[in-house]
Amino acid sequence: MVSLNAVLLISFLLFSIGIAGVLIRRNALIILMCAELMLNAANLNFIAFARHSGSVSGQAFALLVMGFAAAEVAVGLALVVALYRKRDTVQVDDINLLKG
Amino acid sequence: MTTTMEHAMTAASHPSSYLWLIPFLPFFGFLINGLSGRKLRNTKVVDFIALGSVGLAFLLTLWHFAQLAGLPADGRSLHQSLWTWFDIGGARVLGGLTTYKVEWAYKFDALSGCMALLVSGAGFLIHLFSTGYMAEERNDGRYYRFMAYLNLFVFSMLNLVLGANILMMFLGWEGVGLCSYLLIGFYFEKEFAAVAGKKAFVTNRIGDFGFMIGFFLIFQVFGTLDYDTLMGSVRGIATMPAITLYGHTASPTWWFNLIGCCLFVGAMGKSAQIPLYVWLPDAMAGPTPVSALIHAATMVTSGLYMITRLNFIYVNAPVALAVVLAFGSLTAFVAATMGLAQYDIKKVLAYSTVSQLGFMFMGMGAGAFSAGMFHVFTHAFFKASLFLGSGAVIAACHHEQDMRNMGGLKKLMPITAMSMILATFAIAGIFPFSGFFSKDEILWKVFEGWYQHGHYTGPTLNLVAWILGMLGAFCTAFYMTRLIAMTFYGEYRGAGNDPYGLTVQSEAHHGHDDHGHGAHGHDAHDHQANGLHELDQPHNHRGDDPEDHDVVPGHHPHEVSWRMWLPVAILAGLAVVGGLLNYPESLHRILPIVPAELFSKWIEPLLYQVAPVHHGEHVPPAIEYGLMAWATLVWAPGAMLLAWWIYKVDPSWSRAKAFVTRFPNLFRWVNAKYYVDEFYEAALIEPIKRFSAQLWSFDTWVVDGMVNGAARTTIIWADLSHWIDQKLVDGAVNLTAYIIQETSSVFRGLQSGRVQHYAFVMFLGFLVFAFWKFLA
Repeated sequence: MVSLNAVLLISFLLFSIGIAGVLIRRNALIILMCAELMLNAANLNFIAFARHSGSVSGQAFALLVMGFAAAEVAVGLALVVALYRKRDTVQVDDINLLKG
Repeated sequence: MTTTMEHAMTAASHPSSYLWLIPFLPFFGFLINGLSGRKLRNTKVVDFIALGSVGLAFLLTLWHFAQLAGLPADGRSLHQSLWTWFDIGGARVLGGLTTYKVEWAYKFDALSGCMALLVSGAGFLIHLFSTGYMAEERNDGRYYRFMAYLNLFVFSMLNLVLGANILMMFLGWEGVGLCSYLLIGFYFEKEFAAVAGKKAFVTNRIGDFGFMIGFFLIFQVFGTLDYDTLMGSVRGIATMPAITLYGHTASPTWWFNLIGCCLFVGAMGKSAQIPLYVWLPDAMAGPTPVSALIHAATMVTSGLYMITRLNFIYVNAPVALAVVLAFGSLTAFVAATMGLAQYDIKKVLAYSTVSQLGFMFMGMGAGAFSAGMFHVFTHAFFKASLFLGSGAVIAACHHEQDMRNMGGLKKLMPITAMSMILATFAIAGIFPFSGFFSKDEILWKVFEGWYQHGHYTGPTLNLVAWILGMLGAFCTAFYMTRLIAMTFYGEYRGAGNDPYGLTVQSEAHHGHDDHGHGAHGHDAHDHQANGLHELDQPHNHRGDDPEDHDVVPGHHPHEVSWRMWLPVAILAGLAVVGGLLNYPESLHRILPIVPAELFSKWIEPLLYQVAPVHHGEHVPPAIEYGLMAWATLVWAPGAMLLAWWIYKVDPSWSRAKAFVTRFPNLFRWVNAKYYVDEFYEAALIEPIKRFSAQLWSFDTWVVDGMVNGAARTTIIWADLSHWIDQKLVDGAVNLTAYIIQETSSVFRGLQSGRVQHYAFVMFLGFLVFAFWKFLA
């Protein structure tokens, strides 16, 4: 039986990798993928706490988040494709129109 | 008062429907030629229109004249009213409020009918002459302009004589002035022609000013400008005890004198009397037909016509008549002496015209309006003939005008010579040529005025005027014979044949040789064959080929074409027989074949009859016969023989030269026309110019200074306002913007535009929030 703390540690690491990827990587696709990592870290937390507390509502939440994540990826990828068509790049460094 | 009188007077006048065509036919000719002439390649069309319109007008005038002659003497008047020209509405005049309407109306009566015959008849002949004389202009596109101006002149002149009121006359008066200006300055590219035109115009304007004041006064006194009404109401006004106008009360005679003098100032300008005669000799800068038509036969007589037309004013104005007599006789004599020493053939005729006009005014001044008017007609015949003859001579001599370079032309151009000689007999006053009858009549009336202690003028003035007139007549006979002898007798001096050294370098030769061309035709009509533009200014024209005239021997002028000699001959013929139209009563008694005083009786109904106020004894007929015989048998022939003796009998003119050597100063003064022009130049024109210069500098410095000063002040104000706007207003706005800009630069760094920065900040916020929650 894997302990709750171990799962939370994994989840923490996963989230940290995700946030680091979002903040560091320059490719929009990678950033999207890292955002997925963060979501999955949250999912892992839901499931771990559900197992720990013996209720299923956490698992149901995880399923819901997966659905949202799928929708989010669809929208995100569409944005990236549109961006590429418009600017010929997906490097977020090059996209700074809002610079003051 | 006026309206009732109008009905009373116009009752005897007969309406006519075609009267308007007489003046308007030449006007249509002017419009057609003036508007389309430039495009007409064929100048024959221009000829047809110009001559046709004037010729038709002449025939119409004849037709009307025949109608007029068929009417009883007191009803000889045709009139046509076309439209109301001015409707004044109401004006306060002496007789109260007048509602006088100025009609565009024509009146054809004994006087205006004669004048219209003269204008259209002589006008037609001169048009015909012009078609020959202006042949050189046919090629350079100016011909139509000349003909159009001539037509416009005939229209204006007919308007002047046929108009039924003074304003119509004034319209024509100004119209002929304009045409005179246009035609004198026809060669406007020549400076002296332009200057002469300007001089004529300005001088005439001075006269017109007097004329205008005169008829303004007439309107104030009579409340009308219609001749018929004026004539009808003059008797009532002349008997008024006093007339008050403009706060001045005086007798009617005083006002009539004032009006008469003002009108005479107008006549002085138009009819070239001292002191306003100076424009007429200069007007010879125009083409010769213009000199004949305008400056000898018709326009210059408009002053005479005006005085005769308004004789009812003058008859009641003894002082004005005395002024007319004095100026007329002075002009007759002084201008005649000026003609004695001129060498330019046209200048001689010009001074002769001034002098003859003086004679006419003398007649008017003596109260003999019909005699003065008759001289207008005879003078028109012989002077137009002389002018056109001189034009023919000038054209034949290749635009030579100096008589010293002519001579012997009688053999070469016999028709012109004979016509001019006959006209000379007429102007000199030899019986039975026309000038004798008219001039003798004038001098006789002046003499009679003195003898009878005439009521018109002081008797002494009449005597002085008569003496001046006799001297003027002597000079006239002299200078005309001199002209004939110098021009037509002796040997032709032009072709290098000059045994006595009489010829002079023509004025034309100065600095005009720059475009000489070899194939210069000798015939006047060959000029049109030249491709080069021949600027036909008689003075300068010849100069483009000097050897043509002086060096090449054997070249002689010859008779001009029929278009030129025919008008000369017709006019000369009229000059010969025209005098019989006013055959004097005294000669009628001796030779009853000729009816007496046709002309005087003809215009008598138009002359105002004053009740005789004096009962001077009648002049014994012996004196009249004696004076006639003296004038025509001794006086004029004496002058002619004297000139003949000096200039013909002795072909070297040694007597004339001896005279000049003996009295150099006299000759110099006469030759220089007494320096009148120079005097005017120094006494009037220079001061006016200097005054104008003063005004100009006043204008430049003060008026312009004020305007420019205002402009400068505005500019300075605007600069100041601009500065305030730029520095203060814009400064405040810009300062606000600057402050905001500088302040916002602090925050600008946050807006990196990089999505990861924003995510990082969000993450930090999340961390802070989490720690805060954790620590709490």
